[in-house]
Amino acid sequence: MLGFAKGLSYTLKSMTKKKVTSRYPDEPVIMPDRFRGIQHFDPEKCIVCNQCARICPTQCINLVGKAPSDPAKKGKVIDTYDINFEICILCDLCTEVCPTEAIVMTNNFELATFSRDELFKDLKWLDANNTNVRKEQH
Amino acid sequence: MGALRTEEMILNLGPQHPSTHGVLRLVVTLDGETIKHIDPVIGYLHRGTEKIAEDLNYTQIIPYTDRMDYLSSMINNYNLVHAVETAMGLEIPERAEYLRIIVMELQRIASHLVWFGTYLLDLGAMSPFLYAFRDREHILRLFNELSGARLTYNYMRVGGLKWDVTPGWIERTAEFVSYFKKELEGYHQLVSGNRIFLNRVRDVGKITAEQAINYGMSGVILRSTGVKWDLRKDEPYSIYDRFEFDVPVSTDGDCLARYHLRMEEMKQSIRILEQALPQFPAEGEFWGKVPRVLKVPAGECYTRIEAPRGELGCYLYSEGKDKPYRLKFRRPSFVNLSILPELLIGDTVSNMIAVLGSIDIVLGEVDA
Amino acid sequence: MNQFLSQPLSLVNGSVFILSGVILLGVVLGFVTYAIYFERKIIGWMQFRIGPNRTGPLGLLQTVADVLKLLLKEDIIPAAADKPLFILAPLIAFTPAFAVLAVIPFTESLHFADMGVGILYYIAISGITTLGVLTGAWSSNNKYSLMGGMRAAAQMISYEIPLIMSLVGVILMTGSLNLVDIVKKQQEMGVWFFIPQIIGFCIFIVASLAELSRTPFDLPESESELVAGYHTEYTGFRMAFFFLAEYVYMFGMACLTTLIFLGGWLPPIAFLGFIPGIVWFIIKFCGVIFFLIWLRATMPRIRADQLMQLGWKVLLPLALVNIFLTALIKALV
Repeated sequence: MLGFAKGLSYTLKSMTKKKVTSRYPDEPVIMPDRFRGIQHFDPEKCIVCNQCARICPTQCINLVGKAPSDPAKKGKVIDTYDINFEICILCDLCTEVCPTEAIVMTNNFELATFSRDELFKDLKWLDANNTNVRKEQH
Repeated sequence: MGALRTEEMILNLGPQHPSTHGVLRLVVTLDGETIKHIDPVIGYLHRGTEKIAEDLNYTQIIPYTDRMDYLSSMINNYNLVHAVETAMGLEIPERAEYLRIIVMELQRIASHLVWFGTYLLDLGAMSPFLYAFRDREHILRLFNELSGARLTYNYMRVGGLKWDVTPGWIERTAEFVSYFKKELEGYHQLVSGNRIFLNRVRDVGKITAEQAINYGMSGVILRSTGVKWDLRKDEPYSIYDRFEFDVPVSTDGDCLARYHLRMEEMKQSIRILEQALPQFPAEGEFWGKVPRVLKVPAGECYTRIEAPRGELGCYLYSEGKDKPYRLKFRRPSFVNLSILPELLIGDTVSNMIAVLGSIDIVLGEVDA
Repeated sequence: MNQFLSQPLSLVNGSVFILSGVILLGVVLGFVTYAIYFERKIIGWMQFRIGPNRTGPLGLLQTVADVLKLLLKEDIIPAAADKPLFILAPLIAFTPAFAVLAVIPFTESLHFADMGVGILYYIAISGITTLGVLTGAWSSNNKYSLMGGMRAAAQMISYEIPLIMSLVGVILMTGSLNLVDIVKKQQEMGVWFFIPQIIGFCIFIVASLAELSRTPFDLPESESELVAGYHTEYTGFRMAFFFLAEYVYMFGMACLTTLIFLGGWLPPIAFLGFIPGIVWFIIKFCGVIFFLIWLRATMPRIRADQLMQLGWKVLLPLALVNIFLTALIKALV
């Protein structure tokens, strides 16, 4: 009997306490800085070293480089860069190994679409995804 | 009038469950209300982690280990990282060790909170689930700040950790620890004295110590039968030997004993945290000196740690390359599930849910 | 109302009867809508969350949206089901729920039928719902439905006996089965029946929870247990009927509790008599409903065999003891 009374008083007291519901999507959820969200890619910084594609555990990054338009410059310039978000697990290993911070993570996480085709993001989309870029980069 | 002819009925507790254990299928042969035979069918969540691991280097396997027992990712991460470090003979800096302990004990609390909420939800009480998840939310926020994700942390690395603490993280964790200590009392107030709850779990699913050892049980199930065995005390790894904590043991062997043991374990985790947080070194490296390319010397090694569900082990067979030749995880939920057929034969259907909940399995771990 | 009933039937009379019936129907349906809404809200508050708040202002139209959804669903009748019985079962389950509301007096003058055997009528008619449950379970042609339905029926029948027995003490003290008389007797005694009949009150609360299939006795509804309930094969409109029956019974049982044990329309202190009786009735009624919701948020579910043990081995002997004691005290005093 006493056990019941104690339990009932606990729930009754909880009724008057502050609620923890967050008003998403009316209010956006602010993630901490280190949050691993969708990547942002800056083609200017990429040196086509291929480390990100090699380290990716699910092999979701595909990239192709080309010779730079200026023949005096050495190295390669990025031509296409695709991330397949059907298999990307947002593990952050690609940003960890990138020597020039060309690929960084943002704090955006809203990736849901109605069609699977839209989950295959290319260089233009990743470049344009430059809001809420993570400040702390290893 | 002769004996009444009864027929056995086969009931399929399908992979889609209202109870939140995951995709487990139980094929139950019933005679009236008594269970004659149970066949657990697993594999609905098998993703081939161990096979995939043969093609990846050790750092790349870490995100996969997150997803095995998704409720205790940090500890799974540590399992793999510890095996590699033991095989390579690496030394871990102090600060990294302390942070690892803090993070693993917080993870233990989070995992037991999920168990608490879902177990009571199975038994019909809908509120403790939300109270448990509200408190777990604090832990997830702390982890989100520390590692960048809420569930699959990918935080440990061979030789240390990926990030250092953010400013103020230790203080906030200490605040959480003192807050949670009071909340734990609240759970006992809500549930532990409730007659209805006690009638449902007392003397249900009794396991003897002999049965438990024969079936290879570990963790809370083994300790509920009277065998005092906790890898953090008996084969200390990391710096657990520096902390004072008790290992709760019971001799009843029923679901109530396991309930109380898990609640006690949360209390002991709090105790470890209360010691570790003030002792946290103010300075130090969080990632030791490791070679650029991680090559484990040829040979095999097996290490084990105490996960919230039991003994989590990692068997590593290496041929000297940067990818393992064979990586096998000894997963506690998989082994603990094997006792279910023997335990439930002769018992009624209504007790099945209570027993299944008290064994505390996570299908991600059962299937890997 | 009594004056209308004593006159011969005429146009004025008839239209008053029909109109008041429609008003009661409206009140009850409004109650059901907002009982569901408040249940979700209050359970939400007890669990640190806000309940429904998006459909309509403050979420007030949530139940309307849910009922609309149920009504718009496809009407599926299993091919091997017993069609006439399948269609009949929800009706059998829910008609008695409304029929029993005829004897409930809301105040001294505001009631429908002033039957001499009010309580007996209530308990007897509410037993017909069990038939509806069994019919639904049987006609579904699904072995799990049948098992669930039989368990539900066993629960409902087992707990009707302690329910009535607990009321016998009150009846002994009042000397009548009429609900208006019972409240008048409480007025005369100056103390509400839950104090002298405390054992009866406790038994009544437990038995009424089991009758209503509310937590902790909500085995028929529970889906995390093995067997799905008797209304597995019912969808849409027909299932809405079963749920409606449950909530209207909640209305009826709460009214009954208020009338018999909590003094009906009487104010707690005679000084506050200037506040109309109906307000007191509503306050006490809301208190009982809140208690039912509060229990649902807190308690786990009782096991099937323990449920039967509780009903037969604990509540029934206690109720008999209660009757014996009441009779003894009445004879001696």
